[in-house]
Amino acid sequence: MELVIKDLRANIGDKEILKGVNLTVKPGTIHAIMGPNGSGKSTLSNTIMGHPSYTVTGGEVWYKGHNILELEVDERAKLGLFLAFQYPVSIPGVTVANFMRAAVNAHRAEEGKDPRQTAIPMAQFRKEIREKMAALGIDEAFARRYLNEGFSGGEKKRIEILQMSMLKPSMAVMDETDSGLDIDALKVVSQGVNTLLQANPEMGVLVITHYQRLLNYIKPNVVSVMMEGRIVREGGPELALELEERGYDFIREEVFGNGN
Amino acid sequence: MATKLPALVTLNASDLAFAGEPQWLQQMRQSAWHTYNEMPMPWWRRTDLTAFAAGDMQLTYGASAGQVQGVAPAGVVVMPLTQAVQVHGDIVQKYLGSAVAATTTKFTALNAATWHDGWFVYVPKNTSVELPLHVIQGFGESNTLVSRNLIVLERGAQLSLVEQYAGSGTIALVVSEYILGDGATLTLAGMQTWDAGVRHMGHQIAHVGNDATINWTAIHLGGTHQHIEAETNLAGNGSRVDWTAATLASDGQRLLTAPWLRHAGRATEAHMDFKTVVKGTGYTTFDGMIKIEGGSTETITRLEEHALHLTPQARSDSIPGLKIDTNNVQKAGHASTSGEVDEEHLFYMQARGIPRDVAVHMIVMGFFETVLDRIPVEAVRDQVTTTIAARI
Repeated sequence: MELVIKDLRANIGDKEILKGVNLTVKPGTIHAIMGPNGSGKSTLSNTIMGHPSYTVTGGEVWYKGHNILELEVDERAKLGLFLAFQYPVSIPGVTVANFMRAAVNAHRAEEGKDPRQTAIPMAQFRKEIREKMAALGIDEAFARRYLNEGFSGGEKKRIEILQMSMLKPSMAVMDETDSGLDIDALKVVSQGVNTLLQANPEMGVLVITHYQRLLNYIKPNVVSVMMEGRIVREGGPELALELEERGYDFIREEVFGNGN
Repeated sequence: MATKLPALVTLNASDLAFAGEPQWLQQMRQSAWHTYNEMPMPWWRRTDLTAFAAGDMQLTYGASAGQVQGVAPAGVVVMPLTQAVQVHGDIVQKYLGSAVAATTTKFTALNAATWHDGWFVYVPKNTSVELPLHVIQGFGESNTLVSRNLIVLERGAQLSLVEQYAGSGTIALVVSEYILGDGATLTLAGMQTWDAGVRHMGHQIAHVGNDATINWTAIHLGGTHQHIEAETNLAGNGSRVDWTAATLASDGQRLLTAPWLRHAGRATEAHMDFKTVVKGTGYTTFDGMIKIEGGSTETITRLEEHALHLTPQARSDSIPGLKIDTNNVQKAGHASTSGEVDEEHLFYMQARGIPRDVAVHMIVMGFFETVLDRIPVEAVRDQVTTTIAARI
């Protein structure tokens, strides 16, 4: 199913950040959003997921027959949306394993059914998480550690991808996943995403990034450029390369003129 | 059988001359009774003293309402204190009242004069008790519980102990003394899991010898009123304490904890981490003090205290203090937070499909986890965790 964003407007406090975003992310595609700092990229991803600090002032976001702006955050997740955070929080006292199990079970829960019936059997959960941790090069000991507490930037991002591969979303938003990653970590993380894509070819991925670098590893089908709270340009993978070469200024000039 | 004493307000010194008690103890009681009558009531801003009115107290003598779980190896003593004064009179006489003096407050004086229950635990020198012991104190037939626990670890001894107050009743006046000889290690979980309605007045002091260590976890869950003054006295050189606490106050509960940390020896080290959750109309007070005495040099001390508010009406007061009488402190730090569950944490968890109420529950349990994890008996840990989980 497509994720369709129509004329989305959002504020932080009194400040308008998203000024009418229109965007469609198709299933089975990797859709990159590139843009300079402050263009509203992270606001877009947080607004799609429902972060409480952002106030939606207009527009709609349609997914699987719902205007998801009307849904609770956890309901959006259960619909198949996933946000890989730019800055994952640490949660003291909650282990990676317990957190993952709660998330998996929340996805398996069905209305009117005893959660104990729908919960993933412990052995199956252990096997699955162990395999996925191994594939992402995460030491097994991390399962017993408190979520993200004392983790390095690269470890946090791997844990994000681990969660993504356990929850198997149908639409994933990756918010600046490359920030704070060295090249080796970037390769591992990208490979994790690509493996997931191979297994779930219908998954849509919205990759939000400032730099072209990540797109060498997660190859986009569509590239949109965001500036000043709007999508100002859409193209194929070649657009990302052009941006890498020429910077954002040439688009800024084309869109807003020389005067600013 | 428990014998009822005359109502406290009509009690005379002669009523405390219990037949069969050794002379030294009778003298202690008489002296403490005198102190009790002479001392004024304390002035406490945050503890409602009408909950501990003398007119509500009906004292008893002669029955023990305690239980013990676990087996003490040969040479290690675990028995009711009333029995210990007969069997191990010389040791009890040496230590009883040595940490918590009768003259501390009017309530400790009353306790020293009228105590009728409690535990004596004694670990001889260089003896390690492998399996944890668990002593539980209840009210039994008494309306008012006046108990004393005396825990003595001789030089080089090691013990894990769960000290629990549980059951129903009205007023509990309890005192605990923990005496750690040089090089001794005590892992202690002190818990009050009283039923609703109990008013708990506690005084606890740990006296820590040279190179001795106490790992102290305090759990405060029950009753309606709690006033606990607890002190770790790092008297010995190289002595250490790792001190954590979990307090949960729900509707109608007023729980006060006043921990004192006294650095007296040289090169002492302390880590305190006190966690509080308040909900409904629950109200807690953390009234803590770190005192670094003049002769205490090369001290390392850190105090953390954190409170989570689950409802707008819930309140927690925090009054941390630090008094330093030396110029030679190696490290002294303090961190304190108080507030609601972090919205960023909730957003993150909800973004993984976890419903908000479940997320709050997990975050609160996680908040307590590092404290509960230190309870040395797994069954007790599970039980406390389940109790807390059901109340959040």
